[in-house]
Amino acid sequence: MAGMSASAHPVVDPHETIGSMTDRVSAVPLDRRSWLWWWIALAVSGTLLFFGVIGALWAFFVGIKAWGNDWPVMWGFPILAYVWWIAIASGGTFVSAFFFLVRVEWRTSINRIAETMTLAAAACAGIYPILHLGRPYFAYWLFPYPNTMTLWPQWKSPLLWDFMALFTYVVASILFWYLGLMPDLATMRDQAKSRFAQVLYGFFAMGFRGSGTQWRHLKATYGVMAAIMAPLVVSVHSVVGLDFAGGATPGWHSTEYPPFFVFGALWSGLATVTLLVLVFRNLLGIATIITERHIQVLAKLLLTSSLLMSYAYIMDAFEPFYSGEQALRTQFLSRIEGPYAFVYWGMIALNCVFPLVLCVRVARASHLVIALVSIGSIVGMWLERFNIVEMSLMRTRLPSAWGHYVPTIWDWVIFGGTLGLFATIFLLLLRVAPMVSMYEMRELLRERNQS
Amino acid sequence: MILGLFRKEDRLQEALHRLREAGVGPLETYTPAPLEDEPALSPVPIIILVAGLLGAAASLALQTYSYTIAWPFPIGGRPQFAWASFVPTVFENAVLVAIVAGFIAFLAVNRMPRLYDPIDEADAMREVSRDGWVVAIRGKDGNQARRILETLHPDLIEEIAE
Repeated sequence: MAGMSASAHPVVDPHETIGSMTDRVSAVPLDRRSWLWWWIALAVSGTLLFFGVIGALWAFFVGIKAWGNDWPVMWGFPILAYVWWIAIASGGTFVSAFFFLVRVEWRTSINRIAETMTLAAAACAGIYPILHLGRPYFAYWLFPYPNTMTLWPQWKSPLLWDFMALFTYVVASILFWYLGLMPDLATMRDQAKSRFAQVLYGFFAMGFRGSGTQWRHLKATYGVMAAIMAPLVVSVHSVVGLDFAGGATPGWHSTEYPPFFVFGALWSGLATVTLLVLVFRNLLGIATIITERHIQVLAKLLLTSSLLMSYAYIMDAFEPFYSGEQALRTQFLSRIEGPYAFVYWGMIALNCVFPLVLCVRVARASHLVIALVSIGSIVGMWLERFNIVEMSLMRTRLPSAWGHYVPTIWDWVIFGGTLGLFATIFLLLLRVAPMVSMYEMRELLRERNQS
Repeated sequence: MILGLFRKEDRLQEALHRLREAGVGPLETYTPAPLEDEPALSPVPIIILVAGLLGAAASLALQTYSYTIAWPFPIGGRPQFAWASFVPTVFENAVLVAIVAGFIAFLAVNRMPRLYDPIDEADAMREVSRDGWVVAIRGKDGNQARRILETLHPDLIEEIAE
């Protein structure tokens, strides 16, 4: 069966050669015409980003009372969006590190898009905790730096673990991305016609010439880094899960949380990769390299990760009743029939029920259906974060501490701003960096020619 | 230094085989992708391992110091050296140090960044990053190397100053 589908959908178009593939991929950043779709997309994302910056400045000026955060729901949109973004970011690392280690052939051409997506999403995740501090100019207090107050960070707190995890993840993702990009920047340097582009790419290629020595060290370094990135990405999202599991709030305090959050990262991250692949393979003219095969694999992975989510939700519903704790039962019932019941049921519909359509082969053949499932995943995971972060805090143990949460316009403006930041970073990188790992494609094409 | 450019990888492999047999060299290849069957021998993985272990040790030491010596904070008789709660931070710090050290070590062993190298003067080098497979022969026995290279009919032979 696997062999049949592989021959039905080749992993790369049979007419593609090492040279033609290189020309096709490097033509995208070197194309000197202006693309209308690109400018329109940049205008939209830039506008969102502009208003997001205004929103952030306003929040700095008046403080976090600009947001809907109010007792008892002190973790509002910023934490929701932080968790949502870091989950999406993780998806790129799953593709680039995990599937590198298991040597699947379909990872090669989508790896760069996935990793670039990771960088853009991690940037959005990274700014939220700083905004949420309220006094962002004290962000450096999280570092264990020598200070006259002899203060230390609270090493036992999951929130500090989270800072350490996020900091490591952002730095490691950038370096891992750059290491794999270096040979391709060398290609861009040699393909570029204008002096400016030659100097720019030459500078960032750092003198990579494809010598035997350089390849030898690159392969060794890249392999080991991938082997480190894979457990890192699992640890990052597990620690995000511990942020919640470490609190005694009903609905959070569960050993299920770290794997539950990793499943969610896989699901929303793969959906974002799939969506970007579907949109950009035609726009960038690389449909011969990112073929139907990749889309079919991604569709099946989406279905798998959706089933993992369903398992987590079933456990989430089972626990309150099995534990026999009144507070957990009240908490869970308020989710499914409380004022935000539509959030819970929307989450179930988009993360568990709708993706089942991918069980049907005819549905998997439709790119529109796959795109809708992916969008559903991204929205559904947002609803899940709302469900976890806000609704847990609305119904804690004693009715005296119950409350309601409503986001303000500034919550939405800043959230829109991070959507703009994500799209802006991605669109800019798209125009300067090759969006397919060319040197790994050359190895793939060699293997194809030999078989 | 003599350079031979081939349009096909297997022809470069054949040339390498012949040149190694003749014992000319030292040889260096310049290729669009890693050559097949080349062993990935490199000191970088060991450097990454050592850096990671050092990072882990330093992180554990710092956390232990801050709780037991610098700022002991007894709460309900709980242990100051609560190593289990240090584990996530130890892991994250170890990974950070390992990845950064790996990246720096990769540049260091290759003596990068090196934006100019005499070999850049060769026209053959313009092809390398697309679809050109180049062998460069250094050393004194240039005439012998050239003779062997000519029998292999490369697409381009170039001689440049070292």
